[in-house]
Amino acid sequence: MTTLAHGHRSPRRAPAAGTAARTGPTLVGVTRAEWTKLTSVRSHLWLLLGTVVAAAATASALGLFVRPDDGRSGSWVVTSGSVLAQIGMLVLGALVGTSEHTTGTARTTFATVPRRLPVLVGQGVVTAAAACTTALLALGASVVATTGARAGDAPALDLAVPGTLRALAGFVLASAGVALLGLGLGALLRRPADAIVGALVLAVVGDHLLATAPGVVTDTVRAFLPSSGARLLQDDAAIAALDAATRGPRLGVWGGGLVLAGWVVVVLAAAAYRLRRHDVR
Amino acid sequence: MIEVEALTKRYGSTTAVDGLTFTARPGTVTGFLGPNGAGKSTTMRVVVGLERPTSGTARVAGRAYADLPAPLHAVGVMLDARSVHPGRTAWKHLLSMAQTHRIGRARVHEVIAQTGLEPVAHRRAGTFSLGMGQRLGIAGALLGDPATLVLDEPVNGLDPDGVLWVRRLVRDLAAEGRTVLLSSHLMHELALCADRVVIIGRGRLLADAPVQEVVARSERAGTVRVRTTDDEALVRELLAVGAQVTPQEGGTLHVRGTSVDEVGTAARRCGVTVLELAAETGSLEEAYLQLTGDAVEYRTAGAAGGAR
Amino acid sequence: MSAATTSVPGARAATALRSGPTSGRVVSAEWTKLLSLRSPWWTAAVTVLVAGVITYLSAQASSVDPGFDPVQSLPLGLALAQIGPLVLGVLAGAGEFRTGAFRTTFALVPRRWPVLAAQVLVVGAFALGTAVLTTTACVVGVLPSARSRGIAVDLTAGDTPGLLLGMVGLVVGLALLGLALGALLRRTVPALVTGLLLVLVLPIVLMTAADPLAGGGDPAALGALDAAATTTPLGTLAVLTPGTAAQLLATEASAGPMPGAPDLGPVGGGLVLAAWVLVLLAAAGLRLRTRDLR
Repeated sequence: MTTLAHGHRSPRRAPAAGTAARTGPTLVGVTRAEWTKLTSVRSHLWLLLGTVVAAAATASALGLFVRPDDGRSGSWVVTSGSVLAQIGMLVLGALVGTSEHTTGTARTTFATVPRRLPVLVGQGVVTAAAACTTALLALGASVVATTGARAGDAPALDLAVPGTLRALAGFVLASAGVALLGLGLGALLRRPADAIVGALVLAVVGDHLLATAPGVVTDTVRAFLPSSGARLLQDDAAIAALDAATRGPRLGVWGGGLVLAGWVVVVLAAAAYRLRRHDVR
Repeated sequence: MIEVEALTKRYGSTTAVDGLTFTARPGTVTGFLGPNGAGKSTTMRVVVGLERPTSGTARVAGRAYADLPAPLHAVGVMLDARSVHPGRTAWKHLLSMAQTHRIGRARVHEVIAQTGLEPVAHRRAGTFSLGMGQRLGIAGALLGDPATLVLDEPVNGLDPDGVLWVRRLVRDLAAEGRTVLLSSHLMHELALCADRVVIIGRGRLLADAPVQEVVARSERAGTVRVRTTDDEALVRELLAVGAQVTPQEGGTLHVRGTSVDEVGTAARRCGVTVLELAAETGSLEEAYLQLTGDAVEYRTAGAAGGAR
Repeated sequence: MSAATTSVPGARAATALRSGPTSGRVVSAEWTKLLSLRSPWWTAAVTVLVAGVITYLSAQASSVDPGFDPVQSLPLGLALAQIGPLVLGVLAGAGEFRTGAFRTTFALVPRRWPVLAAQVLVVGAFALGTAVLTTTACVVGVLPSARSRGIAVDLTAGDTPGLLLGMVGLVVGLALLGLALGALLRRTVPALVTGLLLVLVLPIVLMTAADPLAGGGDPAALGALDAAATTTPLGTLAVLTPGTAAQLLATEASAGPMPGAPDLGPVGGGLVLAAWVLVLLAAAGLRLRTRDLR
């Protein structure tokens, strides 16, 4: 009874005086929440650590087999772990995109943020940030890990070689792109197995399968798969060689990156549509 | 018959069960009680062979669970409603269970009917409500017509009809001479259907006794509740005969160390009008809270005071 | 007597035998469990479809080559379709643990390993059916191209029966590899990622490294290279991955070794794949036997 009468002065209501504490979910707040969620799951951290180690280990191992007459560039030696790095990224994206739905966290999350889309945006920001950080670490680790190879027959990492800097930056960019592709597919399909298989086929395997039957059709399809994003990792000479060999469209220096970006936008838009329109269970 | 002897189970540095000994006997319903994290589920998983004890033994029908020739016929197990693949229908789930022991389809239909699952038998278990999941778990436990049943929180999520049904079911099963070990958080429910309770806290045994005996241990048991027009006079009179009196909220008095008859006589002697006079009986819940008060692993700061 | 017995009059009679889980019974239970889920059926259907369609498209694309041999086009669809049996196996192996159904399963069969053995049989049998259909789809896929070039496809001549058998073996072998990984790791995503890494990505990485042309792993063209090329460490490593070994299983015996790799032949490839499956299954069995199930 007494508490009711003095309700407006009771200590429990006191924080309400600062109205700032009473706003709804903001984009920044949601993004910070997503960052907490991403970093608080141990398997995510292990995955990222494993990605760094796998990328550096691959680069280190493959570097040992490079001969001076191979035509490999210094940037290739450093980024040769990129296939494994990208797989780590797309698995991370797929896990972030699906975990809400597989664990039932979705009920909590979307009850807290009923407009839903800020969650996807926040996940995108957080996933891209985690991917870039991991890619930078992987790149650094790969540079260190290939020191031995460079002391042997492998070419030095020479920034004067045209496109080398772009290839190194491309490693980071392509990682973020693939992570976002995984996120989009995860949020769209809501099942990790489907999302991972789909992303892997689109971003890695499909290209290699189509390469077994070169032709106008297959080369065109290859050019428009998200795996074209891997062209960001090539220096100028390698891009020229790829453009000379293909029977499909020549994507030039940035075309591959644009194709990947286009896939990311389309898949994330589809995921956003499903999130807005369909029930969350 | 379930015999747990000096059972200890550690996970790394955490001790989930610590030297636990108890026996669940045929023909009785043994209630298994304890706060969250006390080690009930761990004990039950060890009993059915899913986990190995760090030390000590757990035996069913005189054998280690893994040595039972026909586990489904010996022990009916319901550990967790999530022990079913959500993509499988109730019917196929039970059928596959039955096939491991070559139990006929007729029996599968029987348990489906017995547990009231007929309307949903061909739906995927993932679409079930909590209550239907519980019924499916109980159906699986009954499938082999076992002499022993291990049921973890069987009434969890059931509607009042379902709770009543489980209560009658376990009473009937025990009346047929079967051993029933059942855990629950619902004290009132356990008081109604269990013959004996085993209470554990932080993995240790706190009590193993018939329900009545545990209830009698509660503080309130044996007190007399009295409400009068003139408390002061009665209190003087009662203190004189050596009773202890505690005033309660709402104007009643609790009197210990005496009986209803004596309090009534004392009131007559000092001439006060008795408005209410009764013997308090105590409850399993109170006894439980007293026993586990020190052993509660997780409790909110606010609830801690209220629990005592 | 009381309600419980009166409501179940046939119980005692039905269970009169009262004997426990024999291996035959565990197998029939696992069979019911596998077939009662939707995912195996979907996975099998997609596998067959993808194999047929990709084979058809590849055969169409290469039928313009002067030296077109329809038989060589037969396994092309499997390069992508092989993901299907792998996923099937992983879902079957990890499904129990992911969903909690293992509590029921292993309470019924406390010795545990008969369940794993039964799963191997059941998944193997289901994959065998899928494999036969997949191989048939591949054969159907090359027929239009062969007809358009007027080439008769004789499935009984030369290496072809061996090739068809190898294709069936690839599908079954990868399903069992997936099952072993799923049963060992107990979680869908790690098992799937490991499987895909071993089967698809590792060969690509090794091939990229072995192939002087950056970015071009090209398994089909490999046969055209000089078969007498010396063995390289990378080539040897590649052949020992389950992915390349499986591919080897589904090649014609006369195709010769992959460049830089020792000449194992289809049988050797099959043995390497079988060794992977056995080792992983043994590890899964050991984990099942010695560790707690929570």
